[in-house]
Formats: sequence, structure tokens, C-alpha cells
Amino acid sequence: MSGAEIFLEFLLFPGLLFTAAAGLLTSWVDRKVTAMVQMRVGPPLLQPFYDIRKYFIKETCVPQGGAIELFLLAPLIGFAGVTLASLILWRALLDTEATFIGDLIVLIYLLLMPAVGVILGAFASRNPLASIGGSREVKLMIAYELPLVLVVLVPVIQAGSIRLGDLLAAPAPAGTLSGALALLAGIACLQAKLTLVPFDMPEAETELAGGVLIEYSGAPLGLFKLTRAMMLFTLPVFLVALFFGGLVTAHGWMSGLIGLLAWLLLVALTIVLRNTTPRLRTDQAVRFFWGPVSVLALLAVVLAWAGW
Amino acid sequence: MNAPEALGTGTLDRIRGALGDHLLACSRKSAQRVYIDIPPDYLGEASALMFDEIGARLQIVTGVDTAAGIEVLYHWALDREGCVVTFRTVVDRAEPVLDSIAGVCPAAEWIEREIWELLGVDFRGHPDLRHLLLDDHWPQGDYPLRRGKEGAP
Amino acid sequence: MSYAINTLTRSLNVFHLAGSACNNCDIEILDALTPRYDLERFGITLVGSIRHADVLLLSGIFNRKARVRLLELLRQAPKPYLVVAIGGCPATGLLFRESYNFDRPPGDYVPIDAFIPGCPPKPEAIISGMVRVIEGLRSGALAPRCMEAGRPAPASALPETAA
Repeated sequence: MSGAEIFLEFLLFPGLLFTAAAGLLTSWVDRKVTAMVQMRVGPPLLQPFYDIRKYFIKETCVPQGGAIELFLLAPLIGFAGVTLASLILWRALLDTEATFIGDLIVLIYLLLMPAVGVILGAFASRNPLASIGGSREVKLMIAYELPLVLVVLVPVIQAGSIRLGDLLAAPAPAGTLSGALALLAGIACLQAKLTLVPFDMPEAETELAGGVLIEYSGAPLGLFKLTRAMMLFTLPVFLVALFFGGLVTAHGWMSGLIGLLAWLLLVALTIVLRNTTPRLRTDQAVRFFWGPVSVLALLAVVLAWAGW
Repeated sequence: MNAPEALGTGTLDRIRGALGDHLLACSRKSAQRVYIDIPPDYLGEASALMFDEIGARLQIVTGVDTAAGIEVLYHWALDREGCVVTFRTVVDRAEPVLDSIAGVCPAAEWIEREIWELLGVDFRGHPDLRHLLLDDHWPQGDYPLRRGKEGAP
Repeated sequence: MSYAINTLTRSLNVFHLAGSACNNCDIEILDALTPRYDLERFGITLVGSIRHADVLLLSGIFNRKARVRLLELLRQAPKPYLVVAIGGCPATGLLFRESYNFDRPPGDYVPIDAFIPGCPPKPEAIISGMVRVIEGLRSGALAPRCMEAGRPAPASALPETAA
């Protein structure tokens, strides 16, 4: 593939433009379903687009005495990470041959970037509330990354390869016992990675007045919100690719429908959890992820190794 | 749980006995409210009696500018008996000075600051007498809750 | 209608500041933000940080101490923003005007774009006021007053006497 083609793919489809638009639409679905749960109307379809557009016409205020360069660059870290991750993921989904050895590991690292960007931005803000939010985000990250790696291990063991393309070509792990258990653990990790209730303590609005993003305004804030929306779209796609991969790539146009259904199911579960659970404390979340979730993921790995 | 015995005569007698001649007046407004008038210079010992010996809890201190002078009332809660004993002192409006009880009962620190800034009662021996509610640049000698001031009842 | 105004009025983040208020207006503002009145369908959401805000809702009489905080908050607000005063107190002080801690109407030292009178105004009145502000901005009758005023000076020292 020529450099120009790759560049266009990065900018348009399935990179920046596609992921951003899909992410904002997913964010609207989230807000609309939340509104329906609360028996009200909710925002119009394009509202998330209006919100992001509005952030880009606002002034960017920089806190005095903070680490200014880091403050302004932090949003780009996450933004670049999720864009690249989406690009790699969709290229593999559309053409299982377009993968490379280790792309799964690259994906895991890229999907770490949004959280890292938020943490760096929070500590560059020179604000005590942002520091508290940042430290909570760090603790949360340490908590959920462990079971997440174990969860990703299950389809790898079942397919016998670490190339995303091979995983997509192998039969869908969700049908097996170990795959189902790993998917369950993966959903918990998904909720935490998206910083959604019950794991939204870094950005607790009522407690921390905005927490990690308290000092951000204007374009950097818009980028953070956009990154969050793109993660809301990309992470369920990642889980679908891992656990329903075989189904998605096998049957032509039908497979697209199956993939969409699986993705919708995951997103709906996320929204329902977000609207019905209370916020956990950091120590409760860490205990939850290092306890039941890790045990479940470990069990799934052992079962996958045994062939179940 | 049985209803709290409203100020069992035991405790009230004990207070009255300890105050002795310093008790100027004692009135019982209701089963749970007793008002005891004491002279300003006995305030410190009366507070030590209530806080250290009887074990009462200082609820709040209130102040009123009346015709007789500036009344300062100390409301002590006897939680076990379920009632409140109020010590009332009156100081002269021309020179309102009282001993601070913050040394005996630290809870009185802030409320004495408030009474000082709003009524002008000088609390001798207060560890940190500065504005609490009013702005730091509030004009000196301007006590908003004194009678005759604009905006005061 | 300019692009900036169109963009701003379609998505308003609201930040609420109660400056020595009796809190009745604050309760009514909270009511207006509940699912029953559903302000989200207009694109209005409540935010916790002034840096995320497009509309600053003021309530209360703003005594001398609150005045310092209000000016500090306005220094932190990213332009363009609107300042909307809820209730009668920010306008005239109403029944608290003769009180010893009444300083001066905040309209004297910050540019206020709209007043929503009432004591307290019902959520319907608050919504109606916000809609009128949005329509006024879009028709060009109103312009965010923060743009003409400079950034407020730091209020680190108050005047010596209660003005």
C-alpha cells in the first residue's frame, strides 16, 4: 500500500473521520437511552457534534504555573492512540490478511493511551482536585489492566496465534465456556476503561467538580471529549473482534449484521450499567478487579488452555 | 428506650449547689429548658463546671442587644437528660468585656469571634480574635447587630 | 447569524454560582435541571468546572466576600460566555437590600447578559428566560457582553470601606 493511501485511510476511513463520527453517534445513543431510562426526551441526534464543535470556538485557558507544554499535548496522546487503534482494528476486520505479527499487542498499548493522556493532563493542571482525579485514574488503570490482559489471552490461546487476522479467522470464542467467562470479565474491564459509572470516580462531577479535566477548556477539552466518544465506539468493536471474530468475518454481509448486533448488545449493556449502578470508591474498584474479575479471567485462561 | 428524664433534679441541684451565691436567678421555661443568670466575672468557672465536671456539650452561644445591656447566652446541652441549661450574662453596652471560654471549651472559639464582630463584645484571652463572617476590611467599630444600626432589628 | 453564535447557542454548558443566596433560586435551578423539565433536549447541561462553562448562572445578593469569588471565577471563564442572573436578588437585592451585608448589585461590576426575575422564578420561567436569550442571540438583538469587556482585574484587595 502506498504511503498516500495509508495516509488517506488514516484520515478518512477507517481512521480519524470515520471513528470520530461513529464515536459521536455512539455517544448520542448513550445519551438518548439514558434519557429514555429517565423518562424524558433527550438531546437531538447531532447534539454531540454540536458539543465538540462548540469546544473548538472557545478560548483555551492555560493554568498559571502548570506544565504548559504537557498540558496542551496530553489530549493529543489519547486522540492519536484511539485513532491508530481504530485504524488497525478496522483494517483487520475488513481484510483478515491485512494484519501483522504483534498487532494485538500494539492494539492493547494504543488503547492504553487515552487513560495515560488523561493522567498526564490531570497532573499538568496544577490543581489539587485534578491531582486527586489523576491519582484515582492511575489506581483504576492498574486495577483493570491486569484482568484485561488475561481476558485478551483467552482468544489468543483458542486461536493459537497472536495475529489479529488469525483470531478473526478462528471460530468465535464466545461460544465456548472459557470465552463466555472471559467476555464477562471483559465487560467489567470495558466499563472501567471507559470511565463510566460505577467506575467514574476520577471524573466525579459532584465530588471533584470535573476531576481530571477541571482546568481544561476550549480545543484541548474538545479533544478529550472526542477521544472519550471514540473509545466508546472502538472498545466494544475490539471486544466484538476478539470474541465474535469468527462470526463477523465468515458470512459476507450477514456477518456485518451479526457484528453490529453484538456491538449493540455490548453498548446497551454499558449504558444500562451506567444508569443503574452507584459510583464505587477507588479501593472498592481495585478490590473488585484484583479479586473476582481477575479470578474469573484466570479461570477462563485455565479452561481455554485445557481446551474448554 | 425510656423517655429521657428531663433534667432530673439531681443534676440541677448539683449545678445550683456548685454555683452557690453566684446564681442570680434561675427559671424553668419548660421541662427541657432552664435559664440561669450569672454575673460576667463568674463565667469562666461556670463554663468549667458545665464542660469538665457535668460533662455537658456547648451547643451554641448567642448574643442579643437589649435595653439592659448586651446579653450573652451560653447554651449547654445535657444529652443524657435530654434538656438544655442556658447561662445568661449581661454586660454593659458602653464597655462590653467578657472572659473568653475558648481555653475551657475549644468549641466556643468561632462563635465568640462571631459575637465579637457582630455585637462588639470583647472576649479577653481569646486565642484568635479576628473576623469570621464579615469581610476583613470591615470598618472598625461598626457592629451590625447593635440596636439602632440600619438593618438591625 | 454568525457561526460562533450559532455554535454556542446549540450547546450550552451551565455553571451555577450562588453568591450569599437564600438558596430558593438555587433549588429552582436544580429543579430546572431535573429530568422533569429536561433541559438536555435544548443542548443545555450542567458542568462542575467554570472552565467547561458557557453560561454562568448567578443567584443571590453577592456580599463583599462573594464579590471577590465572582470576579475570580469570571477571570477563569473561557470566552465567549454569558452571564445570566436568576431571581430578583442579583438585580436589586429585593428584601435584603437594607441588610448590613448588602454590598452592591453585581450588575455594577460584571456585565450581565440577562436577568430572569422572580422570587424564586419557577423552572418554567427559567427555561423561558434561557430560550429568550438564545433567540435574542440568534436574531442578533443580543451579543455576549463578555466580548466587549476586558477580563476583570484580580480582586485581591477590596476597598477599605463598605461602598
